[in-house]
Amino acid sequence: MTEEKKSLVRMVNISKSFGKVKALREVDFEVGYQEIVGLVGDNGAGKSTLIKILTGVFPPDEGEIYFEGKRVFLRSPKEARDLGIETVYQHLALIDLMSVTRNVFLGREIVHKFLGLLPVLDMKKMQRVTEEALSDLGIKLQSVDEKIANLSGGQRQAVAIGRAVHFGAKLLILDEPTAALSIRECHKVLDQIVEAKAKGLSVIFITHNIYHVYSVADKFTLLDHGVKLGDFSRGEVTAEDIIEMVRTGQVKEGICSD
Amino acid sequence: MEAKEKGIRTLLLNLFSKCPGFEALAGLVALFVVFSFTATRFLTLESLAGIITVASELGIVACGVTLLMISGEFDLSVSSVFGFSAMVFAAMSNTAAPLWVGFLLALLFASAIGLINGLITTRFRIPSFITTLGTMMLWRGVLLAWTGGFGIRYWGKSPFLDFLNGQLAGGFRASAFWFLVLTIGCSFLLTKTPYGNYVYATGGNKEAARLLGIPVDRVKVINFIIVAIFAGLSGCIQFARFASVDPLRGQGMELEAIAATVVGGTLMSGGHGSLIGTLFGVLLIGMVRSGLVMSGAPAYWYQAFVGVILIVAVIINTRLREWIG
Repeated sequence: MTEEKKSLVRMVNISKSFGKVKALREVDFEVGYQEIVGLVGDNGAGKSTLIKILTGVFPPDEGEIYFEGKRVFLRSPKEARDLGIETVYQHLALIDLMSVTRNVFLGREIVHKFLGLLPVLDMKKMQRVTEEALSDLGIKLQSVDEKIANLSGGQRQAVAIGRAVHFGAKLLILDEPTAALSIRECHKVLDQIVEAKAKGLSVIFITHNIYHVYSVADKFTLLDHGVKLGDFSRGEVTAEDIIEMVRTGQVKEGICSD
Repeated sequence: MEAKEKGIRTLLLNLFSKCPGFEALAGLVALFVVFSFTATRFLTLESLAGIITVASELGIVACGVTLLMISGEFDLSVSSVFGFSAMVFAAMSNTAAPLWVGFLLALLFASAIGLINGLITTRFRIPSFITTLGTMMLWRGVLLAWTGGFGIRYWGKSPFLDFLNGQLAGGFRASAFWFLVLTIGCSFLLTKTPYGNYVYATGGNKEAARLLGIPVDRVKVINFIIVAIFAGLSGCIQFARFASVDPLRGQGMELEAIAATVVGGTLMSGGHGSLIGTLFGVLLIGMVRSGLVMSGAPAYWYQAFVGVILIVAVIINTRLREWIG
């Protein structure tokens, strides 16, 4: 029990099939406290399947999940979120035609009771909290009343990350957060990830861009065709080693996984 | 020159976000000016009251249609629900039961139809256009079969009918009041409550909303029920005005309600729109109806004119939006 407390998330022996396709085969996956883990692998490696299991989208066929040392059964994304597992999806889960504030608080609106019954949005408070939450991560917007549609890709990413961090996430899952961003914006997002870690969060960073993840991650977990190739600390491998392993699907000679 | 264009752009952007429905209001004002020249008796209180009476019955339906359209769905069956509820109300009014019993029964029928529309659409994942096209035909058919094609009259007088749609001062009717109440109520619901957020989110990006834990299917079903209840209510209100109903009552209303909603700036694809816009859209359509007749044009031209307005309004809206960026 005490041993399991060492990591925030421990997924043990996870298997999942879709019909005849074995998406994951006996995969172990671990994220420590205040640790940034890069989850890498080519398309179809099983990254998203693993993450969807961890976020309660669907259950594993076999295997166990421990969160903060306790065994958990995640039946819905809401249950995962209630535990503190927040996901920032590749397509960001933002509503383009709604304001930043409304997006940040969507589904978790701050209300006061009008005439004691009718829940009415407390826009002032939500605006103030949104401004604070974003500036905590070093994000500045012209106005939190701005519609998402009017923001740049990096600003959108920032809003999504700000939302997750603000709502007490313990684990932040980022799915391709730097895809389709300008170089400058990429760096801002990477800074925000480091900032999130400094605030005590753990981060799972899923990406194709090894160089991006390499600059911030403490550890890498490599998947290939539903099987885990291994875990590697940053000190043990170079970015080129990882690319090589993703490409070939084999652990490079002379590197031993943890 | 460029600075000036930028200024206009910012102004329009602000108008779009702060004053929803201003485009429809602009159209309304323009038409008002035109008709006050072409139609001699247009600028009278009676004519205004006439416009508002017609607009209110359409508007109550359009309120629901707007709510539903913002959440990304259509309801073509409102016209049949309108006729069906009016017929239930009428049939019950000629029995020993008090009028309000028939009224509640009519609304109950309406909400059941809305529930069915919603469940079929969300459970079987088919376009609501198809679901409600089907139920529009279904309920109109049932209505015709039930009545044998004959209408129903109510001969008595009742304070309840006056409550629903009695004459007020200056030729105005109670329906205008109900329309206003529902517009304000729905507008409040949409902009000031969490449910309103869910409606915009459901229509704006269903998958994202679902990931954030918004019960998108439930939101849609609730909106289907709301729009059906409003259609039923409007049917009962119109019955209270005429004290009669025929089985074809309401036909064509579904498209008029959609037209009013779209003219009012609500996006067909969902996620954006306002009740204020719909209010102006409905008044615009009501005004075209009276204004054309008063200008001496044959009544047949009404539909043609509304059609043109609809297309022009959407083109202007789309271009404006693109131009603002």
